[in-house]
Amino acid sequence: MTTALAQRPPATAAYSPPSYGLVDRVAGLRHHSPGRLQLILTTLLTLGLLTGLVAGLTAHSASAGTADLGNRAQPLMVEAETVYSALADADTTAAQAFLAGGLEPAALTQRYDDDLARAGTALTNAARLVPDDSDAARAVAALSTGIARYSALVATARANNRQVLPLGASYLAAASQLNRETLQPKAQALFRLATDEISAGYDAARSSWWLILLLVLSVALGVALFWSQIYLSRTTHRTFNVPLVAATGLFAVLILAVGVLFANQRTHLDSAAQKGSAPVTALAQLRILVLTERADEALTLAAHGSADKEEDFERASGAIYFDDPRLAYAERFTTTLKDRHEAYLTIHGQVRKLDKSGDYDGAVALAIGEQATTTFGDLTTTLDQAIDNRKAAFTDEIGDAGDGLDLLSVLGPLLAIAACVLALLGIRARLEEYR
Amino acid sequence: MRTRLAPIVATLALLLGAAGCAGDSSPRYDEVTAAPTGRQPGPGSATPGSSTPAKPAVENCNPRASLRPAGALPQPGKMPSGTWMAKVHARGRLVLGTSQDTLLFSSRNPLTGKVEGFDVDMGRMIAQAIFGDPDRLQIKVIGYNERVNSVLKGEVDVVADTMTANCARWKDVDFSSIYYEAGQKVLVNRDSTAKGIEDLGGKKICAAAGSTSYDNIGTVKSKPIAVAKASFGDCLVAFQQNEVDAISTDDTILAGMAAQDPYAKVIGERYTEEPYGMAISKGHPEFTRFVNAVLEKARQDGTWARTYEKWLGRFGPVPQPPGAQYR
Repeated sequence: MTTALAQRPPATAAYSPPSYGLVDRVAGLRHHSPGRLQLILTTLLTLGLLTGLVAGLTAHSASAGTADLGNRAQPLMVEAETVYSALADADTTAAQAFLAGGLEPAALTQRYDDDLARAGTALTNAARLVPDDSDAARAVAALSTGIARYSALVATARANNRQVLPLGASYLAAASQLNRETLQPKAQALFRLATDEISAGYDAARSSWWLILLLVLSVALGVALFWSQIYLSRTTHRTFNVPLVAATGLFAVLILAVGVLFANQRTHLDSAAQKGSAPVTALAQLRILVLTERADEALTLAAHGSADKEEDFERASGAIYFDDPRLAYAERFTTTLKDRHEAYLTIHGQVRKLDKSGDYDGAVALAIGEQATTTFGDLTTTLDQAIDNRKAAFTDEIGDAGDGLDLLSVLGPLLAIAACVLALLGIRARLEEYR
Repeated sequence: MRTRLAPIVATLALLLGAAGCAGDSSPRYDEVTAAPTGRQPGPGSATPGSSTPAKPAVENCNPRASLRPAGALPQPGKMPSGTWMAKVHARGRLVLGTSQDTLLFSSRNPLTGKVEGFDVDMGRMIAQAIFGDPDRLQIKVIGYNERVNSVLKGEVDVVADTMTANCARWKDVDFSSIYYEAGQKVLVNRDSTAKGIEDLGGKKICAAAGSTSYDNIGTVKSKPIAVAKASFGDCLVAFQQNEVDAISTDDTILAGMAAQDPYAKVIGERYTEEPYGMAISKGHPEFTRFVNAVLEKARQDGTWARTYEKWLGRFGPVPQPPGAQYR
C-alpha cells in the first residue's frame, strides 16, 4: 500500500485525464435515450434541491434580518437615544437645582436620579444589543465608565452643597463639562451608529440578493420541468408523467409561498420604516434638540454671564422642524408639539429679556418656575408619547413582516425534497424500460 | 514693604495678576497677536519663563496711584449730568464684573444662590453711592482672563475680582485706589513637608488661566509645573481629585479654599505683593474719581473695616485699610 502510494504521480497530474474523460462521457450521454433521461434527472434533482436549499436560506436570512431589525437594531437606536436624552436631562436638572440655591429641591433631585437610572438601564440594554468589538460596543463601554465618574462628581457637588461650601458649584461645573463634552458626544455617536445599523438592518431583512438567486433558480427549474415533461410526452406513450406533474405542482406551491410571504414581508418592512423607524428617529432627534435648548438656557443662567449658550440655543431651535416629512405618520402629535414648543420659546424669550435687563433673579425664578417647568414638561411628555406610539407601530409592522418566514425556512427545503423524490420516481420508471 | 514692592511689582505683578492672585495676564481682546479668550496654557502645560511681559511702561509706574477724587460725593440719585454715574443711574443698575467661586471675595452662597463677598460688597458700596440702594447691582461673572477685556469692551462698569493693579494693566484700564493688599502663597496637602513654593520643584501647581498667579509659578527657581484651570474653584476640584499637588495664588483666595478643605494648608511667606484695585474704563475718568471718593469715605466712616470684619475677620484683627495714593 505504502509503496503504491509513494509511486503515484503528483495529484495535479493525476486529475486532468479523468476530468476530460468525465466530460466526454457525460457529453456522450445525450446521444442515446437512457442517457438523455439520466441527464434530465440529474438536472432536475440538482436544480430542485438547490431551489429548496436557497428558498430555505432566503427565508432564514430574511427572518433573521427582520428579527435582528426588530429585536436589536431598532431597540438599540431607542436605547442610544434614551442614554443621550437622559444624560442631557440630568445635566439640565443638575444645573437647575444649582440655580435654585439652597438645598436642591426634592423634585429636581428625584428627576436627576431618575435620569441617571434611565441612562444606566438603557446602557445595560444597549450593551446586550451591540455587536462585540464594534465602535458601538466601545462607545457603550466608554459611556459606562464616564457615567460612573459623572455621578461621582455630582455626588461630591451635593455633599459640598450640603455643607454650604461654594466648592460644590465647581464640582458641578466639572461634572457638567464631563457630561457635555465627553458623555453626550459619545451617546450621540452611539445614536448615529444605531441609526446606520437600522438602514443596514432593513437591507439585511429584505435579503434582496438571496431573492434574486432564488428567482433565477426558480425560473431555471421551471423551464427544466416544463421542457422535460414535453420531452417525455413526445418520447413516451404517456401524455403526462404523473409524478413529474405532482413535483411541478409542489414547486409551484413553494414558489407561490415564497412570493406571498416575501410580498407580505416587504410591504410590512416598508410600513415599519415609514410608520416606525423614520418617525421614531425624527422624534428622537427632536427630543435631543429641545433638551439641548433647555440645558443651554439653564447653563447660561448658571454661568452668570461668563458663558453665553444662547447661540447654541438658537442653533438647536433652528434645527427643530415639526413639518418634517418623516413625521407624516405622527401627524396627530405634531400640532400639539408645535404649540407646546412655541409656548416654551415664549417663556425662554421672557427669561432672556429679564436676564438681559439685569433682573437675574427674576430670570432664574421664571426659568425654573412652575410655568416654565410645566410647559417644558408637557412638551417632553408629548414627545415621549409620540415616540412610544411610533415604537408600537414599528413593533406591529415588524412582527407582521416576519410572519411565516421561519416556517418557510423549514418547509421550503422539505417541499423541495418531496418534489425531487417525485421527479426521481417519475423518471426512474421510464429509465427502467431500458433495462 | 514699599522697597520690596518696587522690583516685585515691576517684574512679577504682571504675572501674578492684579486680582489678588489673579492678575489678568491675558492679552487684550483687540490685540492681533493673540486670541482674547485664550485659555492658552492647557492643563498640565509647563511654562517656565512664560512670564516675560516686562514692558517699558512697567518701570516707572506706581500701580497704586489712582486718580484723585473730585471733591465731595454727590447725593445718591443726584449724579452730575453728562457723567458716567448719571448714565449708570439712568440705566437703573451698576454692572459689576466678578467671579462666583472665590470664597470670601466673590462666591455663590449655596444657601441663597446669590454671589457675595468682599469684592461684591465693594460693588454694593458704589451702587449705594449712586442709587442709595446697594441692591441695584447686576453681577456679571467673568473669567479671570476676561477681566481687562470686559472693561475694554464696555460689558461691565467696574471689575472687582481680586484683581491686582499693575502697570501692564494700567495701560489698558484705570484702577481705583487700592482696597486690599494681598500676596501670593501656596496651598498644599495637610501632610506635605514643603515649607514654601520652592520646595515644590517638579510638582504640579494649579492656578487660574490668565491670572498673574499662573505666570508667577513659572518664575519659581525650583521649576514646579504650572497647571492652568478656568477658575480657582476648578483648581480646588483638581487638587481634591489628586490631579495637582498644590495651588498657588493670593493668600486670601487660598484662605477661602483652606476653609472649604480641612485637609489642605497654606504654607510659606507671601512671595509677591498683590494690591487689589477695581478696574474701570479709561473712557470716563470721572467714574474712577467717583469710585475713589466712595472708597475714601469707606476708609473713614468704618465701612471698609466692617466689610473686612464681615468676610475676613476670622483671619485676625482688622488691619488699617490700605492708604490711598493719587497721581
